[in-house]
Amino acid sequence: MSDALKILQEGLVKARTESSPQQILDLIPYSSFIGAEAKIEGTEVLYWLDRRPSNIGNPSLPAIHGGVIGGFLELSAAIEILYTLDVNEVPKVVDFSLDYLRPGRFKTIYANCTVLRQGRKLVNVSVTAWQDSSDTPIATARCHFLIT
Amino acid sequence: MDLRLAIFKPMLKIAMERTGHGAALGFQLTKVGRGEVEMTFPYKEEVIGNPVTGVVHGGVIVSLLDTCCGSAAITTLTSAAVTPTMDLRLDYMHPAEPHKPIYVAAKVYRNTSNVMFCRGSAWQDDPENPIAHCVATFMKVETPSISLTNIIRRRFNRLIKGDKAFEQEANK
Repeated sequence: MSDALKILQEGLVKARTESSPQQILDLIPYSSFIGAEAKIEGTEVLYWLDRRPSNIGNPSLPAIHGGVIGGFLELSAAIEILYTLDVNEVPKVVDFSLDYLRPGRFKTIYANCTVLRQGRKLVNVSVTAWQDSSDTPIATARCHFLIT
Repeated sequence: MDLRLAIFKPMLKIAMERTGHGAALGFQLTKVGRGEVEMTFPYKEEVIGNPVTGVVHGGVIVSLLDTCCGSAAITTLTSAAVTPTMDLRLDYMHPAEPHKPIYVAAKVYRNTSNVMFCRGSAWQDDPENPIAHCVATFMKVETPSISLTNIIRRRFNRLIKGDKAFEQEANK
């Protein structure tokens, strides 16, 4: 087993026993690049992305880049799998479908995930993102991941 | 090259390469044609998604294809309009290889009065063996707020009032 895989798997065990999904995010460089964070809220994991200038897409509005919203949702879905399921390698994304419902204003974005189906090889995750209130989502996504 | 493209090209280059997320990732626009745009992303360790293999996160490919398809949609416009993304669907064919640039190309294949249909692909060595393929739809929303004079006016206001006042106005 490679050193990197060992660090990842030890990190996963520690994150689950300490109920800290943030520790999984800390293992993935992309999450600190966009500034994604996570915590337990009730029975679910809440993901959020504080605003930062390097995530702006349209500077004249200003609005969050659509790709950042997509990347954040895909990242949240992968973390949800690593945290809630017994999966010990980074899941491979197969497809990703994203509907933009409202523009992402230059403020914090929240997201939560639901694992709709877990098969032997494939997992389907649905993700919803909002800003002001979860009743007014800004985007929804669903994705398939291959797990090993 | 027609006149409108001659204006779009430097505008798109500034918007996609020098500001916000495009600048943070280091995107380069390599080709801008009517309804067709090509871009390059040089490998960056900061955006690794799999710490075991060093492969970049899928979110980078989402950003690349969204930017590339969106830019292609903008090049087909004939009047001042914004082109918000309605949906984006991505298929990942195989993982990207680390330490290699990613190339993307996008094309508007159908342009109606309200909606633009676009497809794009991303590859590393061979365009015939893409790492990802996407389809995206964009809405055409005509608005005076993005006309060149309005953008210049807002930029000017931002310079004299400062970023804070500008953001308060934007969040109204």
